[in-house]
Amino acid sequence: MTLTTTSFDWVRQLVHRESAIVLQPGKEYLVEARLLPIARQAGLTDVSQFVESVRTRPSPDNTRAIVEALTTNETSWFRDGDPFTALTSTVLPSLLAARGPSERLQIWSAACSSGQEAYTIGMLLEDALPNAASRVAITATDISREMVERTRAGRFSQLEVNRGLPAPMLVRHFVRAGNEWEVAPQLRRMVTASECNLAAPLPRMGPFDVVYLRNVLIYFDLPTKQAILRRVRDVMRPDGWLFLGAAETTLGVDDSWERVVVGRSSAYRPLKGK
Amino acid sequence: MRALVIDDSRAMRRIVTGILEGLGYETQQAGHGREGLDVLEGGWVPELVCVDWNMPVMDGLQFVSAVRSNPAWRAMTIMMVTSESEHTQIVRALAAGAHEYVIKPFTADAIRDKLALLGLLPQEAVL
Amino acid sequence: MTTIDTGERRRGAESRPVITELIDGATIESIAQDAWIALVGEEEVLVPLPGEPVTDPVSSWVDVVGPWTGSVVLTTGRRTAEELTRALLQEHSPEVLEDEDVADAFGEIANVVGGNVKAALPGSSGLSLPDVGEAPAPRNPDDVCRVDLLWRGETVSISVQGALPALPAH
Repeated sequence: MTLTTTSFDWVRQLVHRESAIVLQPGKEYLVEARLLPIARQAGLTDVSQFVESVRTRPSPDNTRAIVEALTTNETSWFRDGDPFTALTSTVLPSLLAARGPSERLQIWSAACSSGQEAYTIGMLLEDALPNAASRVAITATDISREMVERTRAGRFSQLEVNRGLPAPMLVRHFVRAGNEWEVAPQLRRMVTASECNLAAPLPRMGPFDVVYLRNVLIYFDLPTKQAILRRVRDVMRPDGWLFLGAAETTLGVDDSWERVVVGRSSAYRPLKGK
Repeated sequence: MRALVIDDSRAMRRIVTGILEGLGYETQQAGHGREGLDVLEGGWVPELVCVDWNMPVMDGLQFVSAVRSNPAWRAMTIMMVTSESEHTQIVRALAAGAHEYVIKPFTADAIRDKLALLGLLPQEAVL
Repeated sequence: MTTIDTGERRRGAESRPVITELIDGATIESIAQDAWIALVGEEEVLVPLPGEPVTDPVSSWVDVVGPWTGSVVLTTGRRTAEELTRALLQEHSPEVLEDEDVADAFGEIANVVGGNVKAALPGSSGLSLPDVGEAPAPRNPDDVCRVDLLWRGETVSISVQGALPALPAH
């Protein structure tokens, strides 16, 4: 056991602040086990050393890695499902009414991790639209090449598909591949994955009708948050919809968005003239 | 909320009931489908049943069919918890009337996530 | 007409696949790793290294019946099987473990590993209830896929082995 009380407390506070998840005392072993691979990647042999280095020299990448390792190691599919419910109940009907029948809807899953969010969106749209394959294009991006490759492969372990993916959706949208499950070809074709650093100028993309940018802004300082929101707005349609994480908002960050309540969730829409 | 855990392995029953009790459930256990039906027929009708597939005397699929043929038990949510993990078998279990399916091996988080989907999480859970 | 025996002819109706054509050691190992993390504990790793030969061995297994027919057999020392049982039962573990407790817990691990091995095989198959005791002997040395792993320094082997003798060569 090398994790000091100070390091553990700092990690607990970080995780609670960023994800609202409570790490109770006694979970030191969990922190140790989950952070060791990241510490090693950073060239350190010791988790406390690693935590100290991030504490004294904050870095959004490392902070995000720590929170992800402790919260979304096995990202669950419909966790915090309200933004997905909002997609099919409100956003999709309004977009279908506003767009021509041959116009393709473009959806962006930003910071897609291993692809659960992008495929969750795809599954919902396949179930809601008879011609989803030709009607919808989903772009999934992440800063990490490894995550982009995982998203492209669309293969998930038994433990991953057990996490919050309803069984009826599993059997409709996945096939067995050895001891893993693979996204069915039709769904996989809806999703295009590529590398993208949100903190830098974006490549040519969009225009998007819907953007999921969840649990990303929390890791950045105010000027970077503002720059990211500005860039996202530039690749969105004027009547598009932006979903942020439950603990995130544009309020007090960038006043060019209007917050709208959609079911039990909130979405942000570009304000005209801003 | 109450849950009945049916599995022929005592170790597995203890693992599943341990997770459910940690989430605030009151539980009872049964070693196979017939014993499970005995509990229900005795009048203890829970909100949730977690049932294994392969068991002696009466297997989980037979249990699901038996429960679904009794209108008095319609409100009960059935979750299969089994190492049977072929695509066709999950389809069979859902067709017979199971609501959810957890593949062994699973983590406590997997059970919690499924219960959240089903709206059967008794309290705010913590990691 | 000259015929060259490429083995193709034996893949006809009376031939059947051997396990090494259907699954590899890495897949079996990853199934076992997942089972250990979920059942035994979050930090419980299996190290893919052969260890000391097991003394006082005990096995648990399930039978698979389908396009491929055989058993998924876990073997370890009795002491290790008891330790696994305690890890599964945690605070419910009795002071003195009965044989029945070990059979139940070690058998359930075979069920979980076996069910997932079965699902990774092509086609649909049946799975038996677990059995515990002295492992069934492999019938055909070519129809075995075996991985040796270390858990807390002790050997745990998993053998996926056919139940049928080799087909007579033509």
